[in-house]
Amino acid sequence: MSRNRITTIATALLVSFIAPGFARPASKQDMVELLKAVDDRQRNQGDWRSVIYMEQKEKNKVDVAYEALVFRRSADQKFIILFTKPKASQGQGYLRLDKNLWFYDPSVGKWERRTERERIGGTNSRRSDFDESRLAEEYDPEDNGEAKLGAYNAQIMTLKGKPDLDLAFPVIKLWVDKESKNVLKRQEFALSGRLLRTSYYPKWKKAYSESRKMEVWYPEEMRFYDEVEKANSTLILVKSVDMKPLEANLFTKAWLESKSR
Amino acid sequence: MSNLFLDFQIALRSLFQHRRRTFFLVTAIASVTGLLVLLDALSTGVSESMIRAATTLSSGHVNVGGFFKVTSNQCGPVVTEFGKVVEVVEKNVPEMQSFVHRGRGWAKIISDSGSTQAGVTGIEIKNEPDFKRVIRLTSGRIEDLAEPNSLLLFESQVERLKVKVGDAVTLSAMTNRGAANTIDCRVVAIAKDMGLMSKFGVFVPIETTRALYQLRPDTTGAIQIYLQPRYVAKAADIAARLRVTLEKAGYRVMDPDANPFWMKFQTVNREDWTGQKLDVTIWEDEVSFLTWTLKALNVLKLVLLTILIAIVITGIMNTMWIAIRERTREIGTLRAIGMQRWGVLRMFLFESFQMGVLGTVAGALGGSVVAGLLNAAKIKVPLSVQLFLMSDQLNLAVHLPALAQAIVTITLITTLAALYPAYRAARLPPVSAMSHFG
Repeated sequence: MSRNRITTIATALLVSFIAPGFARPASKQDMVELLKAVDDRQRNQGDWRSVIYMEQKEKNKVDVAYEALVFRRSADQKFIILFTKPKASQGQGYLRLDKNLWFYDPSVGKWERRTERERIGGTNSRRSDFDESRLAEEYDPEDNGEAKLGAYNAQIMTLKGKPDLDLAFPVIKLWVDKESKNVLKRQEFALSGRLLRTSYYPKWKKAYSESRKMEVWYPEEMRFYDEVEKANSTLILVKSVDMKPLEANLFTKAWLESKSR
Repeated sequence: MSNLFLDFQIALRSLFQHRRRTFFLVTAIASVTGLLVLLDALSTGVSESMIRAATTLSSGHVNVGGFFKVTSNQCGPVVTEFGKVVEVVEKNVPEMQSFVHRGRGWAKIISDSGSTQAGVTGIEIKNEPDFKRVIRLTSGRIEDLAEPNSLLLFESQVERLKVKVGDAVTLSAMTNRGAANTIDCRVVAIAKDMGLMSKFGVFVPIETTRALYQLRPDTTGAIQIYLQPRYVAKAADIAARLRVTLEKAGYRVMDPDANPFWMKFQTVNREDWTGQKLDVTIWEDEVSFLTWTLKALNVLKLVLLTILIAIVITGIMNTMWIAIRERTREIGTLRAIGMQRWGVLRMFLFESFQMGVLGTVAGALGGSVVAGLLNAAKIKVPLSVQLFLMSDQLNLAVHLPALAQAIVTITLITTLAALYPAYRAARLPPVSAMSHFG
């Protein structure tokens, strides 16, 4: 065997031993990039309009269902949820202005300031569930390896809240489809480390964004399971997504009030 | 003086002579007095239950609470570095008998079988002798509230959560920075309900509230000041003085607002400031959402009494008119043998006064006995009535000054009711009176 041939074989063997070792744990930067990709796929960078259906199941209580319109504007992070059904909730709505969340109830005609972590309509969904994904801005990811989730190969990562940011959930565990980079499953933890909520995103759809001149993804179905009160769950369906520009004066208290007159 | 005693005797004999009429009138006066005593006992009972519940569960006579705002739209019911505030209070409130400090918060309590929202009060049980004395336990040991992550619940909450002493529950809440947090607690004591206020409050060690809301050890929710009994009625003045004192000591103090702390979140959140502001309140502010029951009861008492006293006045006047008509010849004779007009007037006033004294004393005694019997029966009231009574059982408080006041007031009213008929009787000319045939 020539000396060159021996060197080549030795190099090939070395590479074959070392390379998988490098490939197995993804670097922190890889995780950050993946998280950015998760956000980016959903980012519209413009206006958004959709119809949502919410169904809340609670132990020893009658199931409740709502239909609402969601409007949002990425530029200044403005946001509206306007309830259209049932009749008792018609005209009620949330408005996010200057990082403040307001709730309007037409039966009393008053605006109340609510926390950003408000449970929307008393369900187990939060405002952030209907807003643009900003995971990469708010959390630092850690690699937790890969796993099969149903038919999908999922990248698991633990997200820890960035310092000096006030976040509802300081720790999140995320399962991301390696192929599509859509979120499949999400677990949110309390400061104490207790699991509070598990969310599943079984259906993703895409729609054309005029502002980005490309198609963006959104979860068409979200299922939230309360992990503290085990019997409670919420189903959210997102329909009729439209990303055409909305009228300029839409994100005002006057507009929301006018919808119940 | 002998004339006065003689008139008094004549009036008394006249009453005995007309026993039937006297009996009916005295009974009427006794009934009104008895009702007044019972209504007053109910109102006093509600008031005392309210003070007891408020000052045991959520308030001192005067409180120094406050809010800390991390950002302009995020506030928590927190007093930071409370030791320094206590120093100011101790120096400037000589009327203070004692004080305690308690953590404040709001959380969802979740058991395996149910959940409920409740105000979470953090206490140091070793420094709360009054709390231990007032709270009546149905099971568990109140001293165990000194253990970390222990919990005291009230009976009505136990019904909802379906737990017993030794069971674990989870408290879930948002910290003042808006992060979700939970803490697992063990039920160590179950107490009897104390009216409506106990339905929405649970007690944990103060360290548990600090852990749940991620607070530093030098923070608390409120300093509850208990005044010496003779100063309790002056709580509002003392609170006003304390506000000025705290401002002079360099603290930012919120404007007076007669509402409990949990009704102030909206207002405080709307205001554009950050950091610490103190809020000085009195016990009535902390239960202002309930004091309407007391006001309603007092209005009801006033309306009922006005109607009943009007009936008594009419009855007395009518009876006097009849008596004067029946005894016109007697009046004429008394006048003819030398009794002055003033003597006649006095005689009829004495009659009315005697009926008043007899009736009111009997009524006061009767009312007190009925109140005592009702208290002894420990009558449980339904939930809707607890809202009014501030207690899970009927509680009537009879006090001697209130009895004396009822006796004096109604006797005075019955005596004055006879003034005009007595005056008319005194004005009768002796000759025509003697020749009167009634």
